[in-house]
Amino acid sequence: MTQATMTARERVLQTLKGEKVTPVPCFSGVGNVTTKGLEKLGYRFADLHNDAQKMAEAAMTTWELFGYECVVIPFDLCLEAEALGCVMNPYAQTQELLYPTIKEKSKLTTEQLRQAATPELLQKGRIPLVIEAARIVREKVGDQVAIGSYVLGPFTLGGQISELEVLLKGSLKKPDEMKDYLDAMADIIILVGNHLLRNGIDYVSVREMGATSDVLSPRVFKKVIFPALKKVADNLDSPSILHICGSVIPVIDMMAECGYDALSIDSKTPMKEAREKTGENTVILGNFNPFATLNTGTAEEAYNVAAQCVKDGVNGVHPGCDIWPTAKPENLEAMIKAVRETSV
Amino acid sequence: MALDSAKKEGLLKKLEQGVVEFEDDEVREAAQEWVDSGEDTYDAIFDGLVAGMEEVGRLFSAQEYFVPEMLMAADSLYIGLDILKPHMVARDSGVKGAVVIGTVQGDVHDIGKNIVKMMFDVAGFQVHDLGRDVALEDFLKKQLETNSDIVCLSAMMTTTMMGMPKVIEMIKEKNPKCKIMIGGAPITDDIVGKFGADATAKDASNALEEAVKMVVSLRDIQKEANAKS
Repeated sequence: MTQATMTARERVLQTLKGEKVTPVPCFSGVGNVTTKGLEKLGYRFADLHNDAQKMAEAAMTTWELFGYECVVIPFDLCLEAEALGCVMNPYAQTQELLYPTIKEKSKLTTEQLRQAATPELLQKGRIPLVIEAARIVREKVGDQVAIGSYVLGPFTLGGQISELEVLLKGSLKKPDEMKDYLDAMADIIILVGNHLLRNGIDYVSVREMGATSDVLSPRVFKKVIFPALKKVADNLDSPSILHICGSVIPVIDMMAECGYDALSIDSKTPMKEAREKTGENTVILGNFNPFATLNTGTAEEAYNVAAQCVKDGVNGVHPGCDIWPTAKPENLEAMIKAVRETSV
Repeated sequence: MALDSAKKEGLLKKLEQGVVEFEDDEVREAAQEWVDSGEDTYDAIFDGLVAGMEEVGRLFSAQEYFVPEMLMAADSLYIGLDILKPHMVARDSGVKGAVVIGTVQGDVHDIGKNIVKMMFDVAGFQVHDLGRDVALEDFLKKQLETNSDIVCLSAMMTTTMMGMPKVIEMIKEKNPKCKIMIGGAPITDDIVGKFGADATAKDASNALEEAVKMVVSLRDIQKEANAKS
């Protein structure tokens, strides 16, 4: 098959298999709904999270309006935490558009997490709703575009369920207990991740932004975080992407060693150095700052940022975080245009 | 029993090292010994605990320490502060006052905020901590209720930072003299100007450094004042 006839879905999935695709895909493993898309549908952001139909429709708009090469659901970071008994705040009554957060933490212990890691978990919270949304998307887009979703990494999910401060101190004071806790968390993530991948989701990102090198020392990362991240990689179906934001050069060798199909880095990690440390064969997605590029900068700047990512040798042009809904349409268009024009 | 200068030095070192190495017991012992001597605890706080935190800030900037180390050091500092503070002779530092602090709505990250709060506690401010995920209008409400001199807004995410200008506008309209400090990972000097805030410390490490600087300059002002009198 010539590359010109490849669908967006094939382009993303081939890239995640380590194939070189030209032009590189311009897509995301995390949230990317825009206010432009919401306006078109007449939906409020806060109304998407608990409605499979609205979630599916909204998720497709960035693909439909701009040709962005993915459909990603859901839009919040609370899916697994909710299934584990936490309570989400969707900010339904707030005037400002906000991402949902966890307002009540279930604070499950290691033992309770181990007990929770059964297939029953997959029927809890909004997990069935996301699977239903994936079905609706697939019905509409067929094989044209890949459907992505995500789970949190063990440490980051821990931060949703327990007090982050306790986990941070624990990583230093009681590393063995923390390792055990994250090992139990890994089982939850594997369960949810595989359920997504086996029920209509084409690729899953593992978002471990809480364990960035801006926060934890490489020493603690190696001892406490790495074993759990590796366990997830070893047991998760393909394709999977490991995303850690911030400056991750001190740990990027360990990220690569985990064995995910691709790594996703943000603008604080220089691509050239990331490539040098991980080798030619590592699929690296990145590495622009979505808010600065798509929301506050000009279209010309967005074009240049995307072109620079291509020039730096990313395997896919991918944001360092969720695309914030108020992204300017002309900037999104310029980014996608830059990738098509400069990745040859 | 007054402390001789060698003993004083030893205890200050013990307090400082205790914070740097998060040796809670060392800090507790040294602080208690200082209090038992009946001496004013001002020096113990500023030349012991704060000096330790200064070193922690340096280690953080040098990437030898990370957030967990900083949190542990903060815990040790508070152990000392709780023992020492009730025995500090009140001084006119010129900066007495109250501060309202919190993380803005939509943001549940409060570690940076807590670090800044710690330094206000050390400096003797009355701190009104609203916690995290605070509704924007609650900052104004608390400021009006307490007539605080300073309001500190924290946000770790670019997206929640966008709520800050609304708070700043509300407060400045009612009380133009109130100083507003904003902080968190996405905040730059540029943003401070754009939002109409008065000051920032851009991340946890900077927040710590800036807050330590603030406290250290208070101490220096105090020392000068003492020398003159």
